[in-house]
Parts: sequence; structure tokens; C-alpha cells
Amino acid sequence: MAYYILKRLLAMIPTLLGVAVLIFVLLRIVPGDVVEARYLGQGSQFQSQELMDLERKKLGLDQPLWTQFTTWMAGLARLDFGLSMWTGSPITEEIKLRFALSLQLAIMASIFAQLLAIPLGILAALKQDTWVDYAVRVFSIAGLAMPSFWLGILMILTMLIVFKWVPPMVFTPLWVNPWENLAQLIWPALAVGYRYSAVGTRMMRSAMLEVLREDYIRTARAKGLWLKLILARHALKNAILPVLTVMSLEFAFLLGGLVVTEQVFNLNGLGMLFVEAIARRDYTLTQALVMLVATFFLIVNFVVDIAYAWLDPRIRYR
Amino acid sequence: MKRLARLLAIAAGALLAFTVQAQAPRSGGELVFPVPSEPPSYDGHREETFGLIHPFAPFYNTLLRVDPFDKGGTKPAPSLAESWTVSQDGKTYTFKLRQGVKFHDGSEMTSKDVKASYDKIIFPPAGVGSTRKGQYAVVEKVEAPDPATVVFRLKQTSGSFIASLLSPYNFIYKADILAKDMNWYEKNIMGTGPFTFVEHVKGSHVLGKKNPNYWDKGKPYLDGFRAVFMRESAAQVAAIRGERAQIQFRGFTPKDRDNLKAALGDKITVQESPWDCILLVTINHDKKPFDDKRVRRALTLALDRHEGSKALSQIAIVKAVAGVQVPGTPFATPPAELNKLAGYWTDAEKSRAEAKRLLKEAGVADGFSFTFKNRGIPMPYEPLGVWMIDQWRRVGLNVRQEVIEPAGYFGVIRKGDYEVAMDFQCGYIVEPDLDMYKFLSVDRNPANYGRYKDPVLDDLYDKQSRATSVEERKQLIRTFEKRLLEEEAHYLMTLQWNRIVPHSSKVRGWTITPSHYLNNTLDTVWLAQ
Repeated sequence: MAYYILKRLLAMIPTLLGVAVLIFVLLRIVPGDVVEARYLGQGSQFQSQELMDLERKKLGLDQPLWTQFTTWMAGLARLDFGLSMWTGSPITEEIKLRFALSLQLAIMASIFAQLLAIPLGILAALKQDTWVDYAVRVFSIAGLAMPSFWLGILMILTMLIVFKWVPPMVFTPLWVNPWENLAQLIWPALAVGYRYSAVGTRMMRSAMLEVLREDYIRTARAKGLWLKLILARHALKNAILPVLTVMSLEFAFLLGGLVVTEQVFNLNGLGMLFVEAIARRDYTLTQALVMLVATFFLIVNFVVDIAYAWLDPRIRYR
Repeated sequence: MKRLARLLAIAAGALLAFTVQAQAPRSGGELVFPVPSEPPSYDGHREETFGLIHPFAPFYNTLLRVDPFDKGGTKPAPSLAESWTVSQDGKTYTFKLRQGVKFHDGSEMTSKDVKASYDKIIFPPAGVGSTRKGQYAVVEKVEAPDPATVVFRLKQTSGSFIASLLSPYNFIYKADILAKDMNWYEKNIMGTGPFTFVEHVKGSHVLGKKNPNYWDKGKPYLDGFRAVFMRESAAQVAAIRGERAQIQFRGFTPKDRDNLKAALGDKITVQESPWDCILLVTINHDKKPFDDKRVRRALTLALDRHEGSKALSQIAIVKAVAGVQVPGTPFATPPAELNKLAGYWTDAEKSRAEAKRLLKEAGVADGFSFTFKNRGIPMPYEPLGVWMIDQWRRVGLNVRQEVIEPAGYFGVIRKGDYEVAMDFQCGYIVEPDLDMYKFLSVDRNPANYGRYKDPVLDDLYDKQSRATSVEERKQLIRTFEKRLLEEEAHYLMTLQWNRIVPHSSKVRGWTITPSHYLNNTLDTVWLAQ
């Protein structure tokens, strides 16, 4: 097991290197840079090539691409992400500011999704082809079909029209004012969690259906075991593996991928930062965010693989 | 009878007193407003976005300002300078500074600070960026002969020099700080403004609180303000509608205005003004057949601006048919005269027939195809782009639209990699020198993306800039406009933007102007109960 863990950890290095090369090259292919985004888009009558050249020099954009890449890589090796090209602030500071909100939202959406997905999936499997199953399926398909940002817009409009109320505009940490914090984050968590739960529900239902047809479940039932016990001890543990994979990847996605939902609810999270970094051609910040999300995906995948062995003793890693 | 008259007089007096009292500014409260953009740094001398002005202008003062109650947004008013005089030859401007003005750190503001600030803007040392250096090319030097006097010496007379000092970006910084670190103000805030800085949480908000030692006694009225960064216009509208915010200073669409008014009725007050921003069509003079002025003129003739105005003003932030000046402003061409220019005729069929004739004469075949590059911003680029393509099709041109993502857009246009493209101009004040600078020959202004050289146009610009009488200047501007838009058709004007600011009726003491860069010091703003 230790050998396997070491092998997996080492395998992350070339994967991350590949991601680094890809994002570095892709950003440079796209037209425009941070200096143009800063000085050419405001409709000003006066433009100074001298100023733009000066800014490019300050940011190191006048250096050959290879030099820019090696400088960035050397920084990464020291876990130094550098400065944002747009604000000039340390990238770690920019990310730290938004991380708490994104993490809390991802956790809240995941909890909500799992609270819905697991019982509904089990229920639908147990009551296969009854009205209960159909109702759960319609509910989950609706969740898949409805983009979470659209659901978010509907929620805001409903709150505005019916209750003449909108969520707070500024993030307050949970430990500062829990009520204010929840009043802001509960809505996006519900909107995102619903879509996220739909994926889980469908996966849970199909995995559970498969497991429920297994011989050992039939044997357990024939022995007269209590249904709840069969489900909890035998069926769920086996059916949950694929659900765990899907839900974990969704969780990793939630950390940086809630771009539109964050815009709709005006949340100062990593998704919004990502979009703004790309729109401003903030190379250093975009690169750091991509590396962060890629690392997060790799870690989540790794943890899920390890959890597999813990949940299913038949699985052994060498 | 006498008694009745006296009673009526007393009642009228009481009513008047009540009205005056009702209108008297009230102190207290926090103004909350969304800001759709966030600036990269805090340095006004370096940045160009309104995202800097809206949340950070309240921390500073400028030498002069635009009168906060002038709806035209052009009337100079004192700020840190109490008064000013101009020498007989028009080349020396002397400003008397207000006494007793203190920076937020308690130090006295003197002419040394004004000189240091303007030196940074006009003559930045090596390695320091100044966005507006080119705007002050006429300034020879800035002097501070005594602590209360600042003198600007010009190389030549300039009709727009005072207007250039009204720039809301020209914050007065502390000389001692600049002497130690010219870039200090990029990451720090310390001015003389009506509000002092509390915090800026990046991506979230800026907080300011009342400056109790503000030099204009009794002001500001507000206890503080909270500027909340919000990119999404739907979220901004929801914030106003949900009464979490009171105003968004940039502007909303006609539909947003109507929705807010329908939802909140009298709780919403709407202020509208022609907006000193316009989308232009730039035509690449290096590409055939657009090097032929007949083709360019056909492009402008094809646009039925009058009908376009009626239709587009219902759905987009555009309205007035405009020449080179914002309609209704002192140097704007009156509509009757503007309508004589090709492309502005009220008879659309006549215009289109002329456009077709010119295209034929220039050898451009019916169904000729070209690509129109547009910037990937929905409002108002998208509706205007669609409208223009439809108009050009009506004269037999087959136009394909290519939408380019905003950050890379001007890089592409600047390189000349286009045939016909959307361009954009936005000013902080309506002033011919500033508004017409864009159209000078490319060797004088790299922001002329049409890439043409027109010495006649340049000469007209210079002459109007130095004109001593208003009438003479008006005539020169008309001649410039006719050459630019009709004779050479170097650039095409679309429709003037229309600024719509629906705000909480509690917000008082704020007047809309044609520029969303103006009137954001917030010293005169107050909240009614």
C-alpha cells in the first residue's frame, strides 16, 4: 500500500507538469495581454506606446517565452506563485481571500447533495418501477436539465417578487456572523447542490439496483435479515463506490467551476476570480488557479482511490 | 379680508419653510452602491477605468472639479483651488489654493503637493507610468511660487486647458510620499477627500467613512459609503430592487429602468442624460476597397440613424443621433444642420440609393462580402452590430460578423487585422479637444485605428483648439465634422449612448452628467429618510 501511495504521488508530478505546459502555451496563443486589457479597452483617446512598453517590461512580458516559463517553474518549485499581473498583489493572498467562501459553498452544496442523493437513490432502487421511482427520476432528470445558475436566477427572482428580499451582497465569514453567512450562501448551495444531487441520485439508483440483484443480498434476505440492515451493511457499502467517485469529482469541480453561479449571486469566490483572471489576461493568476484546481482534482482522485480499499476489502493496491 | 390675506401669507411662508426644511440635506446614513468593475491599482494617475473613480474618488480632491450640480457636466468649479486667473497671453494659469486643507494623516496640503502630483502626471520620471501624459503636452512647467499658489505655464494657448484640469483622475497626492516612492499610491490611499479609507476587500467591496476634518465644513453628509463590486448587471438590478443598494452610478438599460420603476414606483427616481460615450465604426484605410472614400461614404449612407435611434433606444443604451460632440452640448451641431450630412439625411431611401450609386461607381459588386469585427460585449455592441449588418445588407453588402473576446479585441484592431470594426470612445468631459483627438492622423494618435493620415483634418483640429472666440471654434468644429464624417468618411458614428440611472428616491444631492466618470466625490450626496 505504501509503495502504491508513493507511486501515485510521484505520478502527479508529470501530470502537473503537463498541465503547466498546456496552460502556459494556451494563454499565450489567445490574442491580447494584460497590458492591452488594462489600457486599450477603456475608450480613451490618448494611448501611449511608451507606457505600454514600460508595463510589459515591469511584468517580464518582454522576455522570451522560454525565460518566462522557466521563471514561473522555478517559482512553483519553491511554492511561490508570484504576483498577480493585474493587481500586483501576491497570488496566494488573492486566492486566500476567496478560498474560504468557495470551500464553504462546496462543502454546503456537497452535504445538501448527499443528503438528497443517497436516500433518494436507495428509495428509487427499492421501489423500482413504482410511482416513487418515477417521481425520483423526474426530480433528478430535472436537476440535470436545469443549469444551477438558472435555478439561482429563479430563486433570486422569487425572493425578490414574493418576499421583496435578496441575499446579502458581501461575504461574512461563518464565525463572524453565522446568520448573515448562511443568508448569503444557503441559496447558491441549494441551487448547486440540487444539480449535484441529481447526478448522485441517478448513480446511486443504478448502483443499488445492480447490488440488490446480487446473490449475497438474496441470501441475506432469505436468511430473514432485516431490510435496513441488509441495505446498510451489505448493499450500500458496495453500491456507494461509483457514487463516491462521481461525487468527489463534482466536489473538486465546485471549488473552481461555479463561475456563472458565483456571478448570479455575486459571490467573491474562486470561480469568479478565474473568469476575471482570464478576461484580464492575468497570466500568472490564471496559471496559478489552473495548477491549484488540477492539484485539487489529483488529490481528490487519489483520496477516492485510497477510500476504495477502505470501503471494499477485496480491493488491494500493489 | 386683510386677516385672510395675512393668514394665507403665513400659510405660504410655513409651506415654503417646510419645503426648504424638507430639501435641506440630512446628515447620516451609509450609501451602498454596486460597482461593475474593479481597478487594478488605486493610482488615479495610472488607471483609466470608472471602477477606480466610483469607489476611490471620495478619498481625494482634485485641483478643480466639474460643478456637481451641472447636468451638462462641463462647468468648472473650485475644489482645492479657490480661484484662478489666466494671463493676457493665455499661456499662464495661476491658481490660489484653499487654506487649511488637511490630508487624512493630518498634514497640511500646500502647493508643493499639487505641483508634485501634476509633475507625476505630466513629467513622470523614468519607470513611472502616466496614462494622461499626452493630454498635457501643452504644459511647459508647473510651479509652486508660494504654499498657496500654483502656476501652470503653457507652451501655447489652449482652449481646453481648464477642462483638462477637471479630470476626476487627477487626485492630489502628498508630495513627501511621492518623493520617497512614486508608486506608493498604487497600493495605498491617502488624500484630502470627504471620506477616509477603511478597507478594500478585493473582489468584494470598499468601505469609506466620513472625514470629520473635511475642509468643506458641514460636508460630507453621509456617515460613510460601501461600494460593492458586482460584475453581473442582473445582480446589480436585484440589489437596487431588493433595497440592499441605493444607486449604481454607471447606468442601466431601458429594460432595467422600466422593471425597477414598475416594481418600486415612487421609491425609484430616474435620471437620464446623453452619455459621453459612443461606438464608432472604424474602417481600415489600408484594405481595399475601403481605401476608396466612395465606399466609406456608402457605408455611412446605408445607416438610417433616425429610425435606428427610435428602435434601438427601446432596447439598448443608445439614443441620440450624433456628430463629433454629444448632442445638446455647447459645441454640438444642431440637428437641422447635422441632418444635412451624408448618412444623417432623414430620407432613408434617398440615402440608400446614393449608397448603391457610390458602390457601383467604385466598382463594388452587388453582394460584395466583408467581415465586420465586433467586441464581445453584449450591451450595446451586440444590438448595434446586428442593426448595422442589416442596414448594410439593404444596400447590397453581404456582411459577416466576427465577435472577438473583449480583452484581445483592441490588440487585433490596433494591428490592422480587420476590414471594418467597432471602435469605442468615452470621455470624462465633453470638450472638442478631447473628443476629436481620436480622429487625428495615425502618426499623431495611435488610437486612430483607421490608419489614415489627413493633414487637413489635423490642421482643422489645431486651429479649433487655438481659436479664441467660441463662434470661430464652432465653425472650425463643423468643418472638421463634415470632413471626417461626410467628405472623407474616415470614421462612422453610430448613436450616442444614453445614460440611465434609476436610483432610490432617498438618494439626494447627486446630479447625473454625460460622463460616468464625474460626480463621484459624494460630498454633496445625502440620504433622505
